[in-house]
Amino acid sequence: MPEYIEKYYTLKDLWKSVKKLPSDRKYLAGGTDLVISLSCGNDKSSVWLDISDIDRLKEIKEDGKNIFIGAAVKISELESNPLIKKWASALSECVKYYASPSIRNTATLGGNYANASPCADGVLALAALRAKVMLNLYDKRRVVDILSIVKGPKKIDLKKDELIEGFIVSKEERKSIFMKMMHRKRFGIAKAGLCMCYKLEKGKLRDVSISLSSVAPSVVRAKKTEEYLEGKNPSKAQTKACQLIREEISPLTDIRSTSDYRMRIVSVFLSRALCSI
Amino acid sequence: MKKFKLECEVNGKKVKVEIDSSLRLLDFIRDVLGLKGTKEGCGEGECGACMVLMDGRAVNSCLVMAVQAHQKRIVTIEGIHKHKYGAQLQESFVKEAAVQCGFCTPGFIIAAQEILSKNPKATLDEIKEGLAGNLCRCTGYENIFRAIDKARRKK
Repeated sequence: MPEYIEKYYTLKDLWKSVKKLPSDRKYLAGGTDLVISLSCGNDKSSVWLDISDIDRLKEIKEDGKNIFIGAAVKISELESNPLIKKWASALSECVKYYASPSIRNTATLGGNYANASPCADGVLALAALRAKVMLNLYDKRRVVDILSIVKGPKKIDLKKDELIEGFIVSKEERKSIFMKMMHRKRFGIAKAGLCMCYKLEKGKLRDVSISLSSVAPSVVRAKKTEEYLEGKNPSKAQTKACQLIREEISPLTDIRSTSDYRMRIVSVFLSRALCSI
Repeated sequence: MKKFKLECEVNGKKVKVEIDSSLRLLDFIRDVLGLKGTKEGCGEGECGACMVLMDGRAVNSCLVMAVQAHQKRIVTIEGIHKHKYGAQLQESFVKEAAVQCGFCTPGFIIAAQEILSKNPKATLDEIKEGLAGNLCRCTGYENIFRAIDKARRKK
């Protein structure tokens, strides 16, 4: 349990004071995962830094080429924001599958990413969107590919105090499909999920990206299948693509599903996605 | 334990109080303010018994730290009757026998308030979707769905 929580409204204030705080510190954004660790007695940090009201982290804005989505943007905001709907529709689509309405009002996209869960719905959408993540350490920024620092369940390669400032999605006119299998209709964790972004030009697929959840230690891209689908007619390529995508993954059997069932789901999802185009 | 000077609005009243910053919003509402209508069920965001409105949006108060409510507007079941649909929902829950043990009811009414305020024409399916984070273990859901639907029609 933290001994105390410091609340910040600007990045400037955060960077001014952060180094003076006890070294076992943690960021608190939505809190839907972190606060549970408090109830379970699992959290050993002595101070939490509440970043949920830092204005910069709540921004959704655009420039000429990209949109920026702040790390403290709530999941529920992704559903109806016009910029997200236009340029990152996979994120809007993931919302209805994401936990419950009240959790969506609290949880943040940055938290979903930081938690580095292999079944993270927001990360599944960000990966298919080929998003980049903007990291900030003492006001020095670096931008990296979304999956490049995710190393496994709960493992994310951030430096001490490095803050997830937000996500960058390039403005591309691509359509998206989001699918998730869970043990009940709503408010469940994915047995497997698939998100696909693509363009269709004269009946041929272009610029395809496919991400998968709950089939590897982190969300992954199905790059061989993406390559195969490039320039293909979606219905004609269906059989081979569904076979390829099974060969790309080796999911585990665990409490939520079996390896075999997960492979089948992914294959069926891709088949349904290609049929729907 | 370092204290935090929390300022917020609860059920329309300004609150200024020094609290332990490790308190969850739920603990603050129940133990500091003494508003016992908000219940603790699972304590991990699954059941929805602890729902309150924070700046008009339903949240699980067991998953929010009290510090995060600083300078926000909180509405609990004790203050919901002042809001559009609130009193109607309470009356409708009683009339439709949508309350048995009553433990989940505050959460359902808060969730229903958000559903109807966002979408006054919510269909039965949309009402069900909106209640995905609320569990009831004794009344049964049909009476609850009917109560919310009737409250919507009457307003």
